[in-house]
Formats: sequence, structure tokens, C-alpha cells
Amino acid sequence: MTSDPVIKAVVWDIDNTLLDGVYLESPGQPPAADPVLAGVLTELAGRGILQALASRNPPEAADYVRSVTGARFAAAECGWGSKAAAIGRIAAELDLPVDAIAFVDDDMLERAEVAAALPDVLVLTPEDAAEAATWPQFGPAVVTAEARRRGELYAERRERQAAASAFGGSRDDFLRHVGTRITIGRARPADLPRLHELSVRTHQLNSAGEPVTEAELAGLLESAAHQVATLRLADDFGDDGLVGAAIMTGNGAGEPVSLVQPVPIVRTAPLVMMSCRALGRGALDALLAWMCQAAARAGATELAVPCLVTDRNVPMRLALAAAGLRAEPGAVARDGRAIFSRSLTGDLPALPEWVRVEATPWQATP
Amino acid sequence: MTGDPDDVATELRRLLAEVTGRPELIDVPARTPLFGGGVGLDSLAGTLLLRQIQRRYGVDVAAEDLNLDSLQTLGTLTAFIVDRLGSG
Repeated sequence: MTSDPVIKAVVWDIDNTLLDGVYLESPGQPPAADPVLAGVLTELAGRGILQALASRNPPEAADYVRSVTGARFAAAECGWGSKAAAIGRIAAELDLPVDAIAFVDDDMLERAEVAAALPDVLVLTPEDAAEAATWPQFGPAVVTAEARRRGELYAERRERQAAASAFGGSRDDFLRHVGTRITIGRARPADLPRLHELSVRTHQLNSAGEPVTEAELAGLLESAAHQVATLRLADDFGDDGLVGAAIMTGNGAGEPVSLVQPVPIVRTAPLVMMSCRALGRGALDALLAWMCQAAARAGATELAVPCLVTDRNVPMRLALAAAGLRAEPGAVARDGRAIFSRSLTGDLPALPEWVRVEATPWQATP
Repeated sequence: MTGDPDDVATELRRLLAEVTGRPELIDVPARTPLFGGGVGLDSLAGTLLLRQIQRRYGVDVAAEDLNLDSLQTLGTLTAFIVDRLGSG
């Protein structure tokens, strides 16, 4: 394996990345710095790695981020043009090759565009960046075996993307070709920290748009009235581990089914979430298909997913639509949510053969 | 901005082939389902397609179509865009 280029500069997005919110949405009192990422920034700067900003904001946003993070930025590009072009200008200004630059942005589409225009830039989600201080290409003091493994994730992703663009067949053919393995099972206590982290860090593929604490999650695991399902993802390029989850009401152990059904028996999923690492890899489609099947097996006649309707989680709405869930037109409530639902009678979405469901995970609930 | 249905359909086929990385979709029939087995449009490709449509035509499909029913087929998507261009 060739060694990864050493990162000499990190270019940060501002909204929902370095700041815990959107700068322009609260002009009186802009959001505070994200404590995790501000800590990573300080740590990396301490190792001599340059820090820079690329943001769709007015220039005063950069001054504000300076004041709340205490960081000294080597370059700042604030404006409404392409981020790939902004990174190109930063590379020229700092006299660095683009393969020495990492770019952190919460917006999947910004990342996709930078990755397409500048394939040598190391493109990271905030979730990745939170771990990046331990990766070898950021020159950590001590590199554990596990950290080295995490650092390989991006190389795996790049190899996977290259393979996908060379493949040419359908998405499902590609997922089969690269040995995609999805495992759906019951959440365990050891999963709680990761589930909480996913509830905080996922936006584009998150139906609820609200963090869930570890204590709340622990309560749901104990509750006979709830199912918490996890989804793990791996393929021949690597193992991404726990990338998604769903919470459903009902224990799934089988409810009495009335032969005369005056009203539909609705199973509701208050939260469906998936890491953007899993985007384009069939994981959310598999989770929604499993939810339909599990709810139907438990005697429900309808699955309902209340979903916050924003311009950020359009990918979630696309997955809901693809799984056949619909809301009443104009049914967005005052809290910004609409209830997407589908009937569970008749044909249900199918699970591809690479999805494994852990054996009867909910039957043992007392 | 022209709202000619044939032009819009041709452009949408081009965008679809681009965002999915599948050049053969340049010939996708108007009635083939975009979700599921037909084209297999997923969250990632779907979001990229909607962004390209917004850039190209100034139509924010996700904001105007809660259920994204306009993405059923290339034909329904074309009709949706042409309708918005016509009424704009």
C-alpha cells in the first residue's frame, strides 16, 4: 500500500461544521463553536497543520469563527461560489499541492462536488474529522492499530468510488460485485455511544432531526414497547461498522391481529437515521424494507415515519418515497414534520440477498 | 428558459446519466420507474439530480413536491418541470 500524503492544511466549512448551527440564521447571537471540531482544529494547529475556511457566508462570518474558536486561519474564502474553486485558491495562496489538503463539510453535496472536481483532496464529514487527529496522515504522536484502521477508511472509499465509476452496471449489480454485506439486528448496550453519536451527527439521512441521549436510548432498549434496530455495513473494501438505526414502537413479538379491522394497526418509527458514509450503498433502502417486513410480521397494517421536512434531509425523503411511503399533500405540521406512511398489505419492498437479519432478535423480550 | 417538453426530457436524460454514472440512461424510456428496479435512483443520485435541476431550471422540486411523486418516471418529472416553467 502506498503511504497516504501528509495533510498540511485543513479547509473547514462554517455552518453546522465549525459552528453548532447556521451563522446567518441567528444574526443577533450566532451559534457557538462545535466543541468537538474546535478541539480537533486546535489540536491539529498545534501540530503545525495550517487551518483555513471555505464558507457560503459573508466575510464577517470568518471573523466571528476566529473569535469563538481562538484559531488563526491561514486563509479564508467566504462567498457564494464553488467550494472546489475556493480550495484551489487556498492551495495557490498557501503554495500547497491539493493532495496535502483536507476539506471538512457537513453538506454531502459540497463534499461530492469537491471530490469530483479535486479528487486528490481528502474530503471528510464532520464525523470523520472528529477522529482525524488520530489518523496517520495528520501526523499524530501515537498511532494505535485501531486508529490506523480508521485512517484507511478514506482510502477504501476512494477505491470504492473509482471502482463504481469504472463499473458501468446498475447500482445493485455494483453492490453485489463488491461483496456488500448488511446486517440488521437488535441494538445492544455496547451500541449506545455510537447510536447517540449518529443521532447528533446525521442530518441528511435523519428523520427526526433531534439528538437522542444515551440515557434515552438505554430506556428504549429496556422498553418492551420499542424496538431499536441497528444496521452494520461492510464490503470487500472495508468494514464501516454500525452506520444506521431505526426506533420503532411495539416489541415486534406479535400483537393480536383482529380479523375484522375497523382501523389500521399502525407501527410508528420515531427515528430513522443513517451515516452519510453509507450513502449510495443501499443501506437506508434495506433498513426501510426491513422495517416494513418486521412491522407486517408483527401484525401492523401500516408503517408511519414522522419526518422533519427541511432542505437538508431531502435524501431521507427520497428514500422514504423509494420505499413507497407518502404523506398527505400539504400535511406539514407546525413543528415542521409530516407523517409519511404506507400500507403493509400487498407487496412489500424486498430485501436484497446481501442483507442478513439476525435471527429472531426481538422474540426473547420478556 | 424554454419549456419545450422534448428539450426538457432530453436534458433530464443527460442529467440522469451524469448523476448515476450510467451513460445508457440517456435512452431511458419515459415510463420506466426511476425508483426501484427500473433505474434504481437512490438517495445520493436523487439528491444530485434535484440539485442539477434547480441549477438548470430554477425549479426546487423537493420544496414544491412533498412526496417527490414527480420522480416516479422521467415522464412525470418532465411534466412537472415543464409545468413550473410554463407557469413561471
